[in-house]
Amino acid sequence: MSIRRLPVYLLLDCSSSMAGQAIEQVRQGIRALLDDLSTEPMAIETVYLSVITFHSTAQQVIPLTELMQFTEPLIQASGATSLGAALRLLKDCLEREVKKNTLEQKGDWKPLVFLMTDGMPTDAWEATADEIKQLKMLNLIAFAAGPGAEVKNLKRLTDIVLKSDDLSPGALKAFFKWMSQSIVRTGKSVQVMAQEASIDLPPPPPQIHIVP
Amino acid sequence: MTETAQLEDGRVIEYLPEMIGEGTMKEVYFTKDQESVLCFYKGDLNQTDPQRLRRLQQILTGFNPTLSAKKQGDYWSKLFCWPTGIIVKPRLGVMTPVYPSNYFFASGRWQGREKKGRWFVSPKLRNLLPVAEQGSWINYFKICIVLARAVRRLHAEGLAHSDLSDNNVLIDPVTGQALVIDIDSLVVPNLFSPDVDGTPGYIAPEVLATAGLRANDPHKKLADIRTDQHALAVLIYEYLLNRHPLRGPKVHSIHSAEEDEQLSLGEKALFIEHPQDSSNRPATGLSIPVTALGPTVTELCYKAFVKGLHSPYLRPAAYEWERGLIKTWNMLYPCPNPNCTHHWFVVILTEPIIKCPFCQTPVNTPIPLLMLRSEKRPGQWLRDGELVIYHGQSLFKWHVFDNIFPGPEVDREPQAYCSFHQNRWLLINQALTSLTSANGNRVDISKAVELKAGSQLRLSQESHGCIAEVSMLNYGR
Repeated sequence: MSIRRLPVYLLLDCSSSMAGQAIEQVRQGIRALLDDLSTEPMAIETVYLSVITFHSTAQQVIPLTELMQFTEPLIQASGATSLGAALRLLKDCLEREVKKNTLEQKGDWKPLVFLMTDGMPTDAWEATADEIKQLKMLNLIAFAAGPGAEVKNLKRLTDIVLKSDDLSPGALKAFFKWMSQSIVRTGKSVQVMAQEASIDLPPPPPQIHIVP
Repeated sequence: MTETAQLEDGRVIEYLPEMIGEGTMKEVYFTKDQESVLCFYKGDLNQTDPQRLRRLQQILTGFNPTLSAKKQGDYWSKLFCWPTGIIVKPRLGVMTPVYPSNYFFASGRWQGREKKGRWFVSPKLRNLLPVAEQGSWINYFKICIVLARAVRRLHAEGLAHSDLSDNNVLIDPVTGQALVIDIDSLVVPNLFSPDVDGTPGYIAPEVLATAGLRANDPHKKLADIRTDQHALAVLIYEYLLNRHPLRGPKVHSIHSAEEDEQLSLGEKALFIEHPQDSSNRPATGLSIPVTALGPTVTELCYKAFVKGLHSPYLRPAAYEWERGLIKTWNMLYPCPNPNCTHHWFVVILTEPIIKCPFCQTPVNTPIPLLMLRSEKRPGQWLRDGELVIYHGQSLFKWHVFDNIFPGPEVDREPQAYCSFHQNRWLLINQALTSLTSANGNRVDISKAVELKAGSQLRLSQESHGCIAEVSMLNYGR
C-alpha cells in the first residue's frame, strides 16, 4: 500500500529587487527547510517538494521530488516579476504532478503552496489568480515580503496572506522556519481535518503577521 | 548562564536558557545537569486549561505507578517517562527525566535523534536506517509485550493515555524495549477529559467519525480506555507486520484525499484482512498474512479490527494482548535459514508443513513440542498451553507452575534447558527440585531426561506443578 504524498510547491520571487542579501537568505532558507523536514519521519515519508521561481519568466527549477531525493536548486535574482507566468506554471504543474483521487486510486493530500514575493507583478496575473482561488484543491499561503509587495493583490489569490514590514534577513529566515512547521503540522493533522475547514497553521513568528 | 524554575514541592531547578524543542503545546529546556527536561506550557492556561495543575497533581501522585512506594515502581519507571515534578514558576510546566540513551539513534544520519516508532514500522523509513539500528523481529515481538503491559498498567489505574501513537511510544529494536512518553495529558475518567484529538492513524474510528462535532455535542466521542485499546492494537499490528491494519486500497470518497481518509479510518473503516470482506485488501496481496502470527494473535486482531472496530466495548483489553503475545512467544522457532530477514517465526500447529513464512524455508528436522497440562481439579489435568522446543530453549517457572505468570515481578532464572545431543532431544534440569520422568524416576539437578514422543514429564511435584506431554512435530520428515 503506497502512502499518500503531501505535495509542497514553493513559488519564489527571484526578480532583481531580491538581489544580494535577500536571495542569499532564500537559498539558506531552502537549505534550513530541508534540514528541518528531514529530521521528521512523517515528512520524509510523505512530503514531495517542488520549486518554481519567477523573474522575467517562470520556471519549475525542481519538479515534484521526494524529500530525500531533493537537491537544492541554483537560484539567481534578476529581471522583472512575472507572477502571472508563475501562477500559470503552477496550475500546469498541479494538473500534471498531483495524483488525483479516483475510484481506483488514493490520490495525494491537498497540495500546500507557499508563494513568496517582494514586489508588484509586472505581467497579467489577475485572471489566473481568480482561477486559482476558485480551485478548492490546494492550500495556498502567500507571503508579502517587505513594503514593496501588495497585500491586496495576494488577497485576490488566497485568503491566507502573511506580511512582514521589511525585507530583512530575519524575516525571510523566520518565514522558512514557519513554513517547515506548517508543513509538519499539516502533514500530521491532515487526516483529522474536516472537509472544508481551513488548514490549521502554527502562529507566525513575531516579524511576520497574518493579514486579516 | 542558567535560569531558575521553581517546583510545586519547593525545589528550585536551574535550567539552560536555550530552548531545545518545541511542540504545539510545550516549550522544552534542559536542566543544568541535563538529566531532566523542563516543559513549559504555551499560552495562558488560565484561559485554555484551568484544570491543568490539578490534573498534573493527580498524575504525579495517586495515579503514578512509578513511585517507589508502589508495587514494582522501578519496573514501571522503565516503561513510562513519567513526570517527576510540577513547575509553578516562572510558569506552569512539568519536569520529566531525559529519555534513556538507548532511545536515541547511536549511528547513521539521524544519530542522536529520538527513536519514534514511525521510523521502524514504515518500510521506506526503516530502509534509511543503519542495519544495526533496525533490530530483529523477535525484538519487535518483545516490544509488543512490553507495550501491552504498560498500557495494561495504566488501564488498571483507571487512566487512559489518550494519544498512543508511533509518535508517543519510543522503541528500541536493538534491545526490544519500549517507553511510553507524553504522560502529562493522560485522561483521568470523570475527572479530566482528553485535550488532544490524537494522532492520525491511531485515532479510534468512533472518535474520528465524530471529530467534526462541537465539543459539547453529546454524540461526540472522546479518547478513553477503549480508544487506547484501538491504538494499542494498531501499534502491535504495525510492529509485527509493518503495515497499517486499516489503510487499504478501498476508496470511500473521490472528493478529496482528506474526506476519503476521514471515512477510511473512521465511519467506514475496514480491516485490510477482514476474513469475509476483501474489498479493502491490497491488490498485490499480502505476503505475510496476519495468520502467520499464530491463532491467538490472529484472533486478537480479528477482535480488534473486525468485531471491535466499530464496537469499542468488544475490543481486546491490554491484558489480553499481553497474555496472547506471551502464549505465542512459546511458539517462536528459529528459522533454519541463516540469511532470513526475520530469524524467528511462529510455529502453527495446523499447518501441514512447518516453514518460515518470511523466507519460505521449511524445517526438515523433527521439532519437539511440550503440551503443558495442569491439575485444575483433583485428577483433572487440563491443557494449559504449548511450548515449542529448539536447541537452547529454556523452561522458566511460568512453564513449570500454572499459577505463575511471566509478569514484571517474575523470577527469570531458567529452570531447565533443551539440547539436541547425539541425535537425541534432552531436557537438562537446572533448578527443578522434583522433576520426574515418565517412569517415575526423579531427575536430579544437572541431570538430563530424554524428550521422546509420547512421554510425559512431571515438571514439579509441588502444588500447581505442570505435566509436560512430549510430541514430535514434523516427525518422519
